Amino acid sequence: MQRPVRRASLLSAGAALIWPLQAVLVALLFAGLLQGGGPAPVLLVGGFVLLGLVRAALGYVSEKMLQTSAHALIARLRDTMITTETTRASDTAFGSAGAVAVLASTKLDMLIPYITRYRPARMRVLLIPPIILVLAFWHAWVVGLVLLVAGPLIPVFMALVGWAAKEASARQLSEIGSLNDLLVERFSALPDIRALGAGGRVQDGFAAKADDLRRRTMAVLAVAFMSSTVLELFSALGVALVAVFVGFSLLDVVTFGTWGAPLSPAAGIFLLLLAPDYFQPLRDLAAAWHDKAAADAVAEEYETWHESAATKRLGAGVNAAPLPGLPSLTLRAAQLPSGIALPELSVNAGERVALVGPSGAGKTTVLRLLAGLVHLPDARITVAGHTLDDVAADGWRRRIGWMPQAPHFLNASLRRNIDMGRPDAGNMKDTLQRAALAPVIAGLPQGLNTQLGETGAGLSGGEGRRVLLARALFARPDVILADEPTADLDAATAALITHALMMEAARGTTLIVATHDMKLARQMDRIIRLGGAA
Amino acid sequence: MNVLWFIFRLILREQRKALLRGAALSFAVLVMGAALLGVSGWFITGAAAAGLLGMGAVFDVFRPSAAIRFLALGRTVARYGERMLTHDATLRALETLRLRVLRTVLAAPFTQLARLRGPQALARLTADIDALDGISLRLVLPLVAAIATQALAFALLWWLVSLPLALFSLIGWLGGTALVLASAARQSVPLSRKAEAAMQALRARMIDMIRSRDTLAAYGRLRDQAEFAQAAQNRQSGLRRALDRVERRTGAAQSVLATLMAGGALWIGAVSVTHGPMAPAIAALGFFTTLALAETVAPLRRAIAELGRMSEAARRVRRTLAVPPAAQAGRSASVDTLSIRDICIARPGTKTAIVSGLTFSIKPGETLALTGPSGCGKSTVLQAIAGLVPVLEGTIELGALPVQDWQEQALRNAVTYLPQRSALMAGTVRDALLLAQPEATDADLWAVLDAVALAAVIRPRGGLEMVLGPRGEGLSGGEARRLTLARAALRRPALLLLDEPTEGLDDATADKVLAGLRAFLPDAMIIMASHHPREAATADRTLSLL
Repeated sequence: MQRPVRRASLLSAGAALIWPLQAVLVALLFAGLLQGGGPAPVLLVGGFVLLGLVRAALGYVSEKMLQTSAHALIARLRDTMITTETTRASDTAFGSAGAVAVLASTKLDMLIPYITRYRPARMRVLLIPPIILVLAFWHAWVVGLVLLVAGPLIPVFMALVGWAAKEASARQLSEIGSLNDLLVERFSALPDIRALGAGGRVQDGFAAKADDLRRRTMAVLAVAFMSSTVLELFSALGVALVAVFVGFSLLDVVTFGTWGAPLSPAAGIFLLLLAPDYFQPLRDLAAAWHDKAAADAVAEEYETWHESAATKRLGAGVNAAPLPGLPSLTLRAAQLPSGIALPELSVNAGERVALVGPSGAGKTTVLRLLAGLVHLPDARITVAGHTLDDVAADGWRRRIGWMPQAPHFLNASLRRNIDMGRPDAGNMKDTLQRAALAPVIAGLPQGLNTQLGETGAGLSGGEGRRVLLARALFARPDVILADEPTADLDAATAALITHALMMEAARGTTLIVATHDMKLARQMDRIIRLGGAA
Repeated sequence: MNVLWFIFRLILREQRKALLRGAALSFAVLVMGAALLGVSGWFITGAAAAGLLGMGAVFDVFRPSAAIRFLALGRTVARYGERMLTHDATLRALETLRLRVLRTVLAAPFTQLARLRGPQALARLTADIDALDGISLRLVLPLVAAIATQALAFALLWWLVSLPLALFSLIGWLGGTALVLASAARQSVPLSRKAEAAMQALRARMIDMIRSRDTLAAYGRLRDQAEFAQAAQNRQSGLRRALDRVERRTGAAQSVLATLMAGGALWIGAVSVTHGPMAPAIAALGFFTTLALAETVAPLRRAIAELGRMSEAARRVRRTLAVPPAAQAGRSASVDTLSIRDICIARPGTKTAIVSGLTFSIKPGETLALTGPSGCGKSTVLQAIAGLVPVLEGTIELGALPVQDWQEQALRNAVTYLPQRSALMAGTVRDALLLAQPEATDADLWAVLDAVALAAVIRPRGGLEMVLGPRGEGLSGGEARRLTLARAALRRPALLLLDEPTEGLDDATADKVLAGLRAFLPDAMIIMASHHPREAATADRTLSLL
């Protein structure tokens, strides 16, 4: 990716270098008009236009190459993110699903302008001003000197001013946060504001804060804009000095500054046309500076995401042929990353077991270990008589009904959230009955086609839990692993869920529940305590 | 385009002065830029002509060179002022939009609030408003400045150079740019709408993949979900490439236009000088000015690239602004009793009844607990009593008047409803409480904090000046809950509606808080929605919704 970008940047510099050639033709044309003679105007104008077309074409090709490289890079990074996230078994220090998804979607796109704008601008700054400088010195050393002094001073002043601006903005903005945060906070409190009849007061308060924030922001911008003003000032003064000098020497008012012979009209016009383009690359680079800052931040964030260590799971998470054997499980010699040792565990086929213990004792981890959803290097797990490893995991999970504690739903229909894309694996009507979900569905305007997830309908805690239960029961599993199936529920809903689980166990399904709910635990064949004497 | 105009009119109505100042300086910058190059070209060519004739000594060098210096410095200063004023105008514009949105949602029917304040809807809304900064900053102001500069340039070129050149410059620049940009806009607007949808799909699918990773792996769907996300990425990437192609072509077309304009001006000048009475210096003035006028239309490329994103954002913001305000009635009555007869309420967002045939009444000083399993409609009943959601059948009479006939502010003064998930905002404890009752004295505030057993907690941590972070950060869940209870009680309503008031409190504190509330409001009617037996135990009566 580095080489195509460099080639394209060179091409963009090449396009910019056509301008001096066009300037020569313009200068010759005016010299001809002034002095007579010279090439025919039609040739000069034709050449000027032709060169301009070549310049547009080169610019187009260079942009195309840069955009192609940028998109290839983004596609590769997104690929890596999607693939890597499928192998991670838990959130990392980097952040939650939302943070990762925003990095992969909108944030990675911020690398595009860095490649398509900043990189070619940097190349042009490196190449074009020196070449113009040489051309200027060639004709008149005073002009060269003006440009030589004005050019390098610009970055120095800009850095100084930019520095001051950064400090000022960091000091101010960290104190006040952004207007968006204020708005979001007020939206979050909307029902309260309505209920308290405080709408008018909240509006006035918001307007006052917004006004204050604007004043402070403008104070920061007043300094920040100085930096680009310095650039403008030098480029304007540079052009003006060149114009005045050229005019004066053409009038013979000034007799120094050239190499002996007086400046010709053609050379004068040529220099005037060249001067603005000496500063143009610097202005482009300054305009693209923000792109670089944004891209640096994103690159750093990507690096953090990439480096953050994550636990692994067993298997690939794909459909596989069910693992044969009676659904019994054993767990030995496992230790949590926190150092707490997990008890040895052996569950026979058809047995009902409760895992109880204080929060943090590892109940959820045991369930995830038994499903191969997380892998601890020293844990020895056998399932249905096989060692649970990468090969066995997918086939083993085919036989499991998994019921996590938190009701996260996919952005899809309720139907799909229950059958999980395997409509033939079970009987929907029967499942809804068993999970006591039928009355809930009847109350939804679109029934099973109701959209769930972020944009979809909200379900109450008890309804959501019953959907998780239906999902676990749908494919008639041989083992059900349920994590706190009755937590935070009212007594009636908890009883419904307990009853449904017991009915499945009565059918011969192996049932392991992690729970705080002793009413549920006591209905199991056996209670296993985790975490000390609790 | 229509929708952009709608948003711009909103902004213009409130920020006319700021926008006019910004436009005036943008115009000044462009004019001085074109004049600087034009005068320089004329000066050099004129000087060369005079030098060739040996008339250097009589050529007026003072005024042109002063003009060049003035224009160079003036342009720099004007540019600084322009950036300050246009940014100020833009910030004001965004402020106006945010306030409008806030005003609209504050007046929106309660049933719509959930839709407006979901995390995704909010992230969208804020991003949309941010995207709209381009309407004035990058679209309207540059456009206005460009047209005004071109018009002035036309007049000056006609006066100083010739009518053909002036016409060529005006028609070429404006006509050519309009052609280029119109075709770009036509292609890019639908593309960027689709590209943004694909981007949202990518984000949502990745969130599903990561958040539900255990479930997806357990059911063998993890790889399918990854491919699903990949499909969104491929679609987004393809659309983005197409968008970039449009932008690239626009850039190339603008570059070609600039070349043709400069070449044309050069040709017109050459012909005028060789076949007519025009001096080379005047031809140079025409050429250099036309060349510099490229600056007037160059910034519009960026606006066109953003046009799709902006019109999508504008469409959604307009939709939010179009949420009709809740119906308003205009009466009030004294509140001596609440009586509810045979009401039937729909499940939120549907027409199906969740509660039906409910009848009860309550008198001052009484406490009633509504009980029943989660999802049975307790919260909805409280919201209906507060007049926030409509009933399908039956009546809710507060005093002698049905709640829907109460004037909004009078109803809020009589009834306070505490939602189940009540939220706090950044600020001091005093700010949080004064939101409910701006006239309250410090003694009132301490009294109500005492009533909810919070005074002792707050006092060592800065008292009323204790600063809370965003969303009430700095307080534990139970403390935050008690502060919202205090805020509700401070209004001293005749009817207090509490949804799961002691959620997150331990039993001892819960008892203290409920007793404290009753002591603080001895004559209020209190209705609690509750699934904790301890809350029902403190009530005078309980009513099961099952």
